[in-house]
Amino acid sequence: MEKTIKIVEPFALYKWAKNFKRIQDKFYNKKYKLRRIQQIEDFITLNNFNKVYHIEETWLDFELSSDIFVSTIKDADLILVTHQGYSRYPCKGIIEQIQKWTAQCSKLYLCLNRHYLNIDNQKIDLTLPTDFQKAISSWLQQSLPNHVVIDLSRNYIDRGENFTWSLPDRHFYIELK
Amino acid sequence: MKKLIEHFSDYPMLVDDNPKLQYIRYRLGRLKHQLWLINRKNKTDILLDKHDKFIIDNLQPGKTCIFGSAGYYLEQVIEDLTVVEQWPIVKRFYPAAQIIDDRSEISKLNGRIFDNFIVVNNRGDIWCELSVVEDHISKYLLAMRPGCLFFYSFRDTQIINWNRLTTDHYTYFYDFAKQIEKKYALNLVWHDIKFAKKNKDGNSDYDILENPDTTNGNIKFVFEYQTKTKIIK
Repeated sequence: MEKTIKIVEPFALYKWAKNFKRIQDKFYNKKYKLRRIQQIEDFITLNNFNKVYHIEETWLDFELSSDIFVSTIKDADLILVTHQGYSRYPCKGIIEQIQKWTAQCSKLYLCLNRHYLNIDNQKIDLTLPTDFQKAISSWLQQSLPNHVVIDLSRNYIDRGENFTWSLPDRHFYIELK
Repeated sequence: MKKLIEHFSDYPMLVDDNPKLQYIRYRLGRLKHQLWLINRKNKTDILLDKHDKFIIDNLQPGKTCIFGSAGYYLEQVIEDLTVVEQWPIVKRFYPAAQIIDDRSEISKLNGRIFDNFIVVNNRGDIWCELSVVEDHISKYLLAMRPGCLFFYSFRDTQIINWNRLTTDHYTYFYDFAKQIEKKYALNLVWHDIKFAKKNKDGNSDYDILENPDTTNGNIKFVFEYQTKTKIIK
């Protein structure tokens, strides 16, 4: 019997998303840890945050006590965003979302995936550095004049080998002035 | 204390010695492999997506090469198909695949014989600058006969070293196509460059969806090598 061609929409696109880091972990043994995860843990611990509201997509398996995580923003002393879906907001949407978050909790640790930024190709009416990494920082700082924006990222060219889809690469501490 | 790593190469992967992990790693970046898993067991239907159908409808008679695209899922619908991959693990489940290391081996193994050449969102072609993409394309050309149709697509989000905040995305990729058109006698006969449209929903939130067609790539070109005679539907 001759087969019939059926046209289908792409499926299972996000099948791996939550589990992506755990799958990547299997490629190594248990003796390594992603530096950016350690950076977040250190940031939380050394700055004595103990009520963290975490917005996550990919499971990161932080080695922190579960007691420090809270289930609502109103109870939080820090919002931690590792969900890379927000990097797929338009730039103005990212700024609006940051303002919404800091209106509820003044301290925010935000991770952005550089490869998604300005996903909808909108002209940004700011003078920005030529270097993309510096431009991201400058865009946030200029767009959030009533916030302190500190770039906590390491600079490197990401050739797809930096675990960016496990944990977004550009890290910012943002605090309402 | 665990060793802290930032890059794949900071600690040796176990993948090299482990076929199961090689397969998982291969699959992670190849969504179309899923279609092969489904189609090989389906006795009545062949599932394809719209871009597959577009390609099939526009192929010209003759030999077709599909590179780095898990293209074995098209073997039931494209006659005289040569599947070329860079991952040796593919040979385990699809023995007919040609496995190469460098792209120049495609022409060395086959000669300049192909009437259609397809590369769909090949993970091996991205995570580089457009200049490197151009270098890859220059090697594909060596296996194309004059008049060959070249279907090439990829994602903007995985082309590196450009400033997404200061560069007009459409112009950046369209100009790339026009540049290689001039340089390599590759006539651009069709293109489709799309980016996400973001509008607020009823709760004043934006969707978190990717650019259109993550599977096949949101930057799509069809070139005709050396001639310009085809009309792409």
